Amino acid sequence: MTVTLNRRSFLAATGAALVIPFTVSGVAKATANPATLTAYLRIEPDGAVTIISPVSEMGQGTHTGHAAIIADELGVDIAHVRVTVAQQPGPAYRLRFGQMRSVGSFGIRAWIDPLRKSAAQARTVLTEAAAEQWGVDKAALTVENGAVVHAASGRRLPFERLIEDAAKRPLPEEPTLRAADTRRYVGKAVSRIDTAAKIDGSAEYGIDVKLPNMLHGAVRLSPVFGAEVDSIDPASAPGAVAVAQVPGGAVVVAESWWKAKQLADGLSIRWKPTPHDKMSSADLSKAMRAGLGVVSAPAAVSRGDAVARLNAADRVVEADYEVPFLTHVSMEPITCAAQVSDSRCDVWMSTQGHDVVLDALKKATGLAGESIYIHTTYLGGGFGRKTHGEVAEQAVIASRAVGGRPVKVVWSREDDVQQGQYRPVMTARMRASLGSNGRIAAMHARLSGPMMGKEYEHVTIRDNFDFFSHAVLGNQRYVAGDYRLDHHEVDVPPSTCPWRAVSSSQNGFFLEAFIDEVAQAAGQDPLAFRKAHLADHKSHMAVLEAVERRSGWGSPLPGPNWGRGVAIVESYGSRCAQVAEVEMVDGNPVVRRVFVAFDCGEAVNPGQVEAQMTGSVIDALGPALRCQITLKDGRSEQSNFDGYPILRIDEVPEIDVEIVNTGAPIGGVGEPGLPPTAPAVANAIFAATGKRRRKMPLETA
Amino acid sequence: MATNFRLNDTAVTSTVDDDTPLLWVLRDELGLTGTKYGCGIAQCGACTVLVDGAPAPSCSLPVNAVAGQTVQTIEGLSENRNHPVQLAWAEVDVPQCGYCQSGQIMTAVALLADTPQPSDEDIDAAMSGVLCRCGTYPRIRAAIKRAAALSREG
Ligand code: FES
Ligand code: FES
Repeated sequence: MTVTLNRRSFLAATGAALVIPFTVSGVAKATANPATLTAYLRIEPDGAVTIISPVSEMGQGTHTGHAAIIADELGVDIAHVRVTVAQQPGPAYRLRFGQMRSVGSFGIRAWIDPLRKSAAQARTVLTEAAAEQWGVDKAALTVENGAVVHAASGRRLPFERLIEDAAKRPLPEEPTLRAADTRRYVGKAVSRIDTAAKIDGSAEYGIDVKLPNMLHGAVRLSPVFGAEVDSIDPASAPGAVAVAQVPGGAVVVAESWWKAKQLADGLSIRWKPTPHDKMSSADLSKAMRAGLGVVSAPAAVSRGDAVARLNAADRVVEADYEVPFLTHVSMEPITCAAQVSDSRCDVWMSTQGHDVVLDALKKATGLAGESIYIHTTYLGGGFGRKTHGEVAEQAVIASRAVGGRPVKVVWSREDDVQQGQYRPVMTARMRASLGSNGRIAAMHARLSGPMMGKEYEHVTIRDNFDFFSHAVLGNQRYVAGDYRLDHHEVDVPPSTCPWRAVSSSQNGFFLEAFIDEVAQAAGQDPLAFRKAHLADHKSHMAVLEAVERRSGWGSPLPGPNWGRGVAIVESYGSRCAQVAEVEMVDGNPVVRRVFVAFDCGEAVNPGQVEAQMTGSVIDALGPALRCQITLKDGRSEQSNFDGYPILRIDEVPEIDVEIVNTGAPIGGVGEPGLPPTAPAVANAIFAATGKRRRKMPLETA
Repeated sequence: MATNFRLNDTAVTSTVDDDTPLLWVLRDELGLTGTKYGCGIAQCGACTVLVDGAPAPSCSLPVNAVAGQTVQTIEGLSENRNHPVQLAWAEVDVPQCGYCQSGQIMTAVALLADTPQPSDEDIDAAMSGVLCRCGTYPRIRAAIKRAAALSREG
């Protein structure tokens, strides 16, 4: 639904609901006169409160956070707040890269101010309406549980009796916010608003969508990355309602998904050859490692003359690292239901990439954006993978192939694992010189591997700096002076895609594993070495000191095969330090305990912050220990959870989380807990064994 | 060939090919989508249902294998989310994305039916077949213990 930003038509269309848009500061000016309004706060004539949120709920708890922020500022019980997702990525809701996208750990930090402002605007006009009715000064009024209250006379007016009047009043540009000590929810571990639906099977995910007259689609896509279709024999799928060619393969449409899947598996289809039909992971690794030795590469960051200083230095520490492709394996596979006609396209989808999907649908249908409706369900996990639109295009092509009947396309787990969109492979050569004071004097980080930002035409790579490739290393805090970060580009066949924490995941490993080696070369305790370099950074120091204290850093461990490792990574505007305790069993690490300290500034829901930290550590441990995608003959060697064994409950270490708040600006939560885990484990392995493992996953290193 | 079985205390008949996995019969033919697809090869446990009270991966069970038997899904667990396991799950606030939780809850129900006061080892053994991509495992463990306590308190 798109509502025109004209108050009269609001009133006509909404039966005098109070409707207040969310606007992002900075962006708001540029779109002072937006044609459409898509994310807003809406209070019905009966007092029901709905947040039309620009952010999807994929497990990260954002909808509960949004409800808590609105409930507090408006003065209503959180149980009366409902959250749905905006159907269109309107211009006012596009962050940074022109997005309406649930990414970048922006869900709370980007929206807390706009949400609070809209609720404060609503509260202000409701209060003004009550003041006029009672003939009292509005300053004498407060709000409480969905009503305006006049304490002096004990009078109360519920919002529903004020909506019609309030909706006619001009919204204050700079409304006064309620005092922080009036908040009932923000800052407390509030239960999630979606828990009830998620424990009785009623929560609707993309894969659960049911539409009248709906057919089912299964895909058959090229096993070799990026191969195009040569020929398809539709007669090889007898009983299919349709076989529709899509980029890289076909969708087989049938009366049930199981039938469609069996027909797709049996479909006779041939693909054109590609230049990488024989490519293996070893080939890629060789090409990337060769790039580490190339004399110069475009610099993403260059301060002073790090290379010259390193070449002239006596004490240089140098190490090479490598990480593999990783895949997302959201528990809910990739899916989309579509219904398309000549004038309108609807999709029902568990998406975190509304603007990407909108662009894909515009291309696939030829329709204007106004005729395209994206209905967002819950996501059964996203982790970055569900920013993409290829399944929406497939569903639209399938719907067209059956005369516009709705078709729900569901990928199998094998499709999900084997169709690319991976966290990229990467290699790094780290070099640093030590000064006579025992501190790092100059540092050079060379990356060699794909440059992911290139896959996103709409993302500006500025002066060779690519946020999708250069986070963490781009703003490392260890060396203020001579520092260089450069990147030799190596193209890879599989498409790459944001994976939780994006480049912070691999760069956090490169940097923090290396800092440990430099500390060792300097003969210093790795935690003390970090603190000596980060002393000017209050939040870094606070999280390091917290894990030092909680882990009993330096105290004896239970056995000789045990080791402790530390890492600290700043990402998405937050700082996270971790200490891992590892026991070596038959030459492989078993992670026994992980201590986490985290500073994101204001924690809107500490219960969910804790859940994200715990989940991030568990998420990180799969790839840290053993998960990877490897290539053979131009295709993925893994296909399902048997080949990509994420952690099970019996392997989860004890995880201890401390949330610290040093008063820093509000930061992200969904991603920054992940990057420190792998380097902390790698550093613990060194502490236990005296040997470095520089290649992930660490079990097979 | 038609397959008859009891589903959440109601007699049902499936008329699709009788080697169709129970999962797709439940979801697409009978319209109960609380049971989830995650892997299709008995690796993830998202599709777990109770067959005559025992947990089973419905993705790898042809519907004809449950002929004459009793199948229970998340939808049949309680009227108002008031099964002790659901009460504990709500109290501990277990789910993140929630997608794996039907499988987790059904598996926990079977565990507690067999072992009303499970140890950590019992929980590991019973629950290790059900993956959670969001990493809610520590809360799952806490919720199972809470459910055990709720049953103990009666
Ligand atoms: S879907 Fe049945 S075990 Fe994974
Ligand atoms: S809650 Fe998301 S997979 Fe378990």
